[in-house]
Amino acid sequence: MIEVDEPGFLTSVQTAAGRPGWRHVGVPIGGAVDQWSARLANRLVGNPDDDALLEITLTGPALRILGATTVALAGARFEATLDGLPMATNVGRHARGGSLLRIGRGTGGRCYLAVAGGFVTDRVLGSASTDLRSEFGGHEGRALRRGDRLETGVSAGPLRRWRGTFGDGPIRIVAGVHADGPQQLSGVEWTVSDQADRTGVRFDGAPIVLEPAEVASMALPLGAIQLPPDGRPIVMLADRPVTGGYPVPAVVIQADIGRVGQLLPGQTVRFELVPTDEARRLLREMERELAAVEAIDPSTDDEPGWAGALR
Amino acid sequence: MIRSFGEAALLVELDGPELAQALAASLRADPPAAMLEAIPGLASVLVELDPLHGEADAMAVELEGRLAGLRPREVEGRLHRIPVTYDGPDLDEVAELTGMSRDEVVAAHASVVLRVLFCGFAPGFAYLGDLPDRLRVERLKTPRTTTPPGSVAVAGTMSAIYPAALPGGWRIIGHAALTLFDPRSDRPALLMPGDRVQFEPA
Repeated sequence: MIEVDEPGFLTSVQTAAGRPGWRHVGVPIGGAVDQWSARLANRLVGNPDDDALLEITLTGPALRILGATTVALAGARFEATLDGLPMATNVGRHARGGSLLRIGRGTGGRCYLAVAGGFVTDRVLGSASTDLRSEFGGHEGRALRRGDRLETGVSAGPLRRWRGTFGDGPIRIVAGVHADGPQQLSGVEWTVSDQADRTGVRFDGAPIVLEPAEVASMALPLGAIQLPPDGRPIVMLADRPVTGGYPVPAVVIQADIGRVGQLLPGQTVRFELVPTDEARRLLREMERELAAVEAIDPSTDDEPGWAGALR
Repeated sequence: MIRSFGEAALLVELDGPELAQALAASLRADPPAAMLEAIPGLASVLVELDPLHGEADAMAVELEGRLAGLRPREVEGRLHRIPVTYDGPDLDEVAELTGMSRDEVVAAHASVVLRVLFCGFAPGFAYLGDLPDRLRVERLKTPRTTTPPGSVAVAGTMSAIYPAALPGGWRIIGHAALTLFDPRSDRPALLMPGDRVQFEPA
């Protein structure tokens, strides 16, 4: 059981896979914006990839851990302390009953908090993830508030650590279904606007005008780059509406889509067009990274507070 | 026409909603290996695949085979008769724009059996069409920040009932008292692709 002392900017229960299977009746797939980091967080505490966890946005919550468990943070690096001692990202930790996990500001948009056995909530349409717009799923269909109590599971495998890092190069894209656009998107600088949320990220830069400006509504894959009539591209993320009626000249590759979810307003990025084969190769590389989490040896581990937490 | 749509999806473009729904239904009933989901749009189906376990080229070949044997959906969906109170804030303007009286607008809206062309925008939001030509109006120049649940609205050749409070630029001509989406139900959306809708003045 975990109790919310402070909720943070926007903290909600999500799953890596979201809510597949209902898009044909208009239900967005949702789930973690940075799926890869959500899966990593789960693996660090020995959970299956799709266990429910917390998606933490911009500024983190303060959480009282009521019963001894294990916890891990993955995704953007957030300032965090467990009972006053610094808590690193990308490594599983023991937490004793009654301890306070305080998560501060992040160096990127989002991080994920996994606990042993995952957060236990009712599944709605087959998923524990929160649909914040339609207000169902997760914890009462909403972001966490002060005083909320969340049930957590019990079983979990051994703790693990991931020692990798992310590049900060261009966001790679592949061609979409409407011609001309990819070349205009790549090679120039784009600035993340303040319209950046779980639905998508809009970029400011030299507008791209495509003809026709509207197309027959079609279902949109994750990472689709929509070009509305104002010519400012929007990368569509987890909570994107099922269908869209604007041209889609390019799609962010699956290996890089989590990085888009970590961008903060004002940051600048470039897009780089790559062949589809390269996109698949990069995705396999990301899967290998996930498989490269290492078991932790407590006797030699130098994690601050680690030995103390074992008592 | 089958187009590559990123490394994890293909977009199959078809001649209309009936064929799109038929293909999506066929794929859902008998999914090809490595297919994750098939989602219909107005005249297309998005076919998502697991790029680690399937090749888009092989999937495209499989889809060509499906398309060759495809017939527009033969089994009709459910027919929903939906009572509407025609009291919407845009009814007068729609009458003005179309050169009809309020009663004629109502009669035109309720004169045809509409089909669910596709769903999207929000859970339970069904795009219904086609409206009679004489009822065509453009969207509002400035969309409303919120449209009340149950609003019956028109835009271009389409009509819709808002399942929840949502922003929107469609013109509201009435309201219907019914639940369009219930996530706790086994059949969460009242209106499914291929269903038909007959509006009736309440």
